[in-house]
Amino acid sequence: MTAADIAFDTLAWVWCLMKRVRQNTGRAMLGHIKNLERHSRAAIIVAALLMVAAVGYADYATGPDFSLSVFYLLAVALAVWFVGAGFGVFISALSVFVNVAGDVAGGVQFSKSIIPVWNAVVALTFYFVVVWLLSLLRSLYRNLEAQVRQRTGALTEEIAERERLERELLEISEREQRRIGQVLHDSLCQHLTGTTLAAQVLEEKLAARDLPEAAEAGQVVGLVEEGINLSRKLAKGLYPVEVSADGLMLALEEYAASTSELFKVACRFECDSPVLIHDTATAGHLYRIAQEAVGNAIKHGKARNILITLTVSEDSTLLSVNDDGAGLPEPLPKQRGMGLRIMTHRSDMIGAAFTAHRNVIGGTEIACELKNEPLAATP
Amino acid sequence: MIKPKIKIFLVDDHPLVREWLTNLIHQQPDLTVCGEAEDAPRALREISATKPDVAIVDISLKQGSGIELIKDLKALDPDLAVLVLSMHDERLYAERALRAGARGYIMKRETAKKIILAIRQMLGGKIYMSDSLSASFAEKFVDGRLLTSGSLVEQLTDRELEVFQLLGKGCETRQVAQMMTVSMKTVQTHCAHIKEKLRLTNAAELLREAVRWQENNPAN
Repeated sequence: MTAADIAFDTLAWVWCLMKRVRQNTGRAMLGHIKNLERHSRAAIIVAALLMVAAVGYADYATGPDFSLSVFYLLAVALAVWFVGAGFGVFISALSVFVNVAGDVAGGVQFSKSIIPVWNAVVALTFYFVVVWLLSLLRSLYRNLEAQVRQRTGALTEEIAERERLERELLEISEREQRRIGQVLHDSLCQHLTGTTLAAQVLEEKLAARDLPEAAEAGQVVGLVEEGINLSRKLAKGLYPVEVSADGLMLALEEYAASTSELFKVACRFECDSPVLIHDTATAGHLYRIAQEAVGNAIKHGKARNILITLTVSEDSTLLSVNDDGAGLPEPLPKQRGMGLRIMTHRSDMIGAAFTAHRNVIGGTEIACELKNEPLAATP
Repeated sequence: MIKPKIKIFLVDDHPLVREWLTNLIHQQPDLTVCGEAEDAPRALREISATKPDVAIVDISLKQGSGIELIKDLKALDPDLAVLVLSMHDERLYAERALRAGARGYIMKRETAKKIILAIRQMLGGKIYMSDSLSASFAEKFVDGRLLTSGSLVEQLTDRELEVFQLLGKGCETRQVAQMMTVSMKTVQTHCAHIKEKLRLTNAAELLREAVRWQENNPAN
């Protein structure tokens, strides 16, 4: 029912045009315009012509005493707005012609033959003024629309750019941490190992000459060994997930164990069947999310029991952290904590869905669900 | 008659470590370093030429993996005593290294004091490992978690064994489900049973065990 739709929307639109344009009617008008814009030009042309015919027939049927010429404006407005000023002029002329033809066909007698011509000219002038005003309004509206579109586009681009930058920043920090961790592990620790060996040689040489400094050299060995231990731990913190598909499972397991020991809480890691994460960056983000969640549970929630789980289903991999702490305030404050924001951000970066809410025991549950990549060919 | 010195070969990618390890070993009157290499190919070449008694091998090398090198060295000379010297955690690597044929595992942070002891112990025909590592092995043994003869694996049902084998071949849980045309839930249940039967504590251990079993039983 395209023609009926167009007719209805046109009426509604003109109604809005005629009303004082307050903000809400303005919005309603835009809605009708949008509705009408969905139709093709051809449909609008046909609808305008049909409208002229309908009004013309009604005009003829009601006789010369009733003038329905104002209703041709609907068709004219439709033609100008959705097709163009040229077509508007054409519909105006057509309307006047149909009107006059109707009168003539109805056998109306004019006292002077100039009267129908005069009437036609007046009506035509009136329609032309409407066409001119409407096309002016239309170009204004179009300009405004284009501007809005342009500004929105610029804004969207800026937001995207900002997001890209944020991502880049996080990636850089991640990459740098990993690099520093690797340097610590591969270079500094090796260097220190060489140093302990050198000190050990010194100790043995001193001992061979029965010098009391041998013991001190021995102490140096111990001190440097402690240094190796410290740098290994530091490296581990900077770069916790080993580069292997089962790295995340191992890292989380170790993390749960060390957290339990360090903070005197019961932190467990559960993973029913092996979960392999092939992308090291993804594994790194998941690890940091778990780390952040556990940290929050201990620091803010004062949790005693924490459970980290990693499960895989047909189409997603799920990391969740549950605790029995104080739980998140509900509803969440508008200014969410940095921790939650970073977790959300990390999830966004790996394309995972992040949720944080109060669990059944009143503590917090955070969940990060990652859609699985389609399966590679089985080995 | 002067007893010939015991020859030691060093494989480590860090020159400072090689240099001072050599100095330390030369402090011992009966030990000598007969050569050194920073990568696996060179190590293989030189070891077959110099025929050392002991090789000290780092797991991470410039080129090639230490674990693979150990296997190659054992194939080359079954009598060669290999001592692994690594920055990596013994809990993760020691078992693999020992199964590959090493006779000792020593973490770099305790090298200085323990290395000579380790070399001597190995020369005496024993295996060297840290106290905490041997304690953890002993615990595993008592729990029956060391899969020496595969006897525990024999307790698995056919379906469980299939899951275990597929995991060992590097399949993901999803792939296992797909290949066995069962649901993920079923695979997870199988995994739980396997862990129980093999007395494994977690999925990471399950995976390691499966891979190792597959390595030792490649025919399956």
